[in-house]
Amino acid sequence: MNKHLKNAVVTVGILTLTYGFGFLLKDVFEIWEHITTAYVFSVFLISLLTDGYVWGIFAGFSAVLFINYAFTYPYFDVDFSASESIFSAAVMVIISVLTSAITTQLKHWKTVKAEGEMERMRANLLRAVSHDLRTPLTTIYGASSSILDNYERLSDIQKMQMIGGIREDADWLIRMVENLLSITRIDSGNVKLIKTPTVLEELIDAVILKFRKRYPAQHISLSLPDSLVVIPMDAMLIEQVIINMLENAIHHAGDFTTLTLRVRTEQENAIFEIEDDGCGIPRERLEHLFTGYYDINTEKADTQKRNAGIGLSVCATIIKAHGGTISAENRSGGGAVFRFALRTDEVEGHEQQQ
Amino acid sequence: MNSNNKYKILLVEDETNIQTFVSALLEANDYQVVLAASCAEAEMLCASHLPDLVILDLGLPDRDGTVFLRRLRQKELTPVIVLSARSDENEKVHALDLGANDYITKPFGSAELLARIRSSLRTSRYSAAEGKLPGGSFRCGDMSIDYDARRIRIGEEEIKLTQTEYNIVVFLSAHCGKVMTYSAIIKAVWHEPTNENSIKKLQVNMANIRKKFGAKPGEISYIVNELGVGYRMDGE
Repeated sequence: MNKHLKNAVVTVGILTLTYGFGFLLKDVFEIWEHITTAYVFSVFLISLLTDGYVWGIFAGFSAVLFINYAFTYPYFDVDFSASESIFSAAVMVIISVLTSAITTQLKHWKTVKAEGEMERMRANLLRAVSHDLRTPLTTIYGASSSILDNYERLSDIQKMQMIGGIREDADWLIRMVENLLSITRIDSGNVKLIKTPTVLEELIDAVILKFRKRYPAQHISLSLPDSLVVIPMDAMLIEQVIINMLENAIHHAGDFTTLTLRVRTEQENAIFEIEDDGCGIPRERLEHLFTGYYDINTEKADTQKRNAGIGLSVCATIIKAHGGTISAENRSGGGAVFRFALRTDEVEGHEQQQ
Repeated sequence: MNSNNKYKILLVEDETNIQTFVSALLEANDYQVVLAASCAEAEMLCASHLPDLVILDLGLPDRDGTVFLRRLRQKELTPVIVLSARSDENEKVHALDLGANDYITKPFGSAELLARIRSSLRTSRYSAAEGKLPGGSFRCGDMSIDYDARRIRIGEEEIKLTQTEYNIVVFLSAHCGKVMTYSAIIKAVWHEPTNENSIKKLQVNMANIRKKFGAKPGEISYIVNELGVGYRMDGE
């Protein structure tokens, strides 16, 4: 609906301007033989700025009509007997059709390119994920069948160890599946996220509770703004982003002593920072950190460091779908900081009570 | 109540593996378990066994689990814990608004499930025994509510709340242990339909209550926030 309105406004606006300009040429400067050129230009502009063919062609016919009516003899009378009006009509229509065809193709090409980019990102993720799934599944399948088939022969300690391994790897699988679900929730970028206004404090509360369940020993130092901050978001996805970043620090920051989660507001943006004082990010990884392009072949499949690329590229996908920005850098004092920004909602009157 | 004095739990779940491990877990923790694998079976067993609590998976082979929930609520106040898939808050909100007491997201650990069961069983005892009699009061950890004097204390200190804030806390306390959805709270406190404005109003009031209660993120202090769903007074 809105699009049609925009197209109509553009078309009528440019035609009106040209009509007025025509009188300027004719009555003030008295060089009315250039009026056709002005109209050709306006038809070109309209075809360029509107969607589809219809508006351009409409403008072409209107232009011929206007020229015929107002600027050729007999003035203020439509007369199609002259062959030159038929000729200029044909020219106008051809120009509008060609211009519209080119712009439409250009727009189409842009969406195809964006879709291709998205598709490639998903394919990369899928490849990395299916690769990573094998290791925990090996443990789960292998350990459980060993226990079932050798129940009598295994000692209690051995059984406990194997069951512990099953739980650990199942836990890892759960987190992987949560990440994958997040990606499918965003869908191919065509479906808009359902954002609901979320109170920052409640979000952080949920994140910390969830994180503590998994890593009871890990302390996080928190720094939040005092005021009530409301951010429109898909809370489940943003929760996932923060947890991924915190987990990323646990698995990849080496020996660190403090893990900080800081949120501050800067104009209409809420800036989230997850900071550690560990080993920092290797320079060669820094560039491709969020793209999921890390080459699986260079990673040993069964190191502790699996899940690296996926978690962060999920973060990037989620933040981009929210229209926010994401970045990572090494701190000058050692360690790394991951940062993302989202737009906030202004809250009118914190003390709004009856 | 039961002859063997154990709580009886009806587990409605069609996945055999989940059935096996949940019932083993429950039996190991001194609950008596009745199993149902479909809506129809659940209705039948519910009528004959009169369980103290129902654990309900929503994706059942014959009908949607919410059908069972709706029919149960027409007759009984038996606490119901819904097993839900993570993907959708709407599903949770819908089940809670139909009268479920709590939900637990799959996959879940044993400790989490047992905690929810204890909490739901306690809730049903509260509402059955105490109600809101004149002179009634509510205690939860260090917090106490004196309904007659409209006073809330944490430890010795009195917490000064506005009228609206007090009404919200009292409403949550009356359903202690149960997740109350945004729309349920808004309806009870303001008698208004749920929309962006009323949710914002609720969020602002909750922020003030948290501040006055001295709550810090990540530390449960009486009121648990269920992101995107609602709030729950914690009975533990």
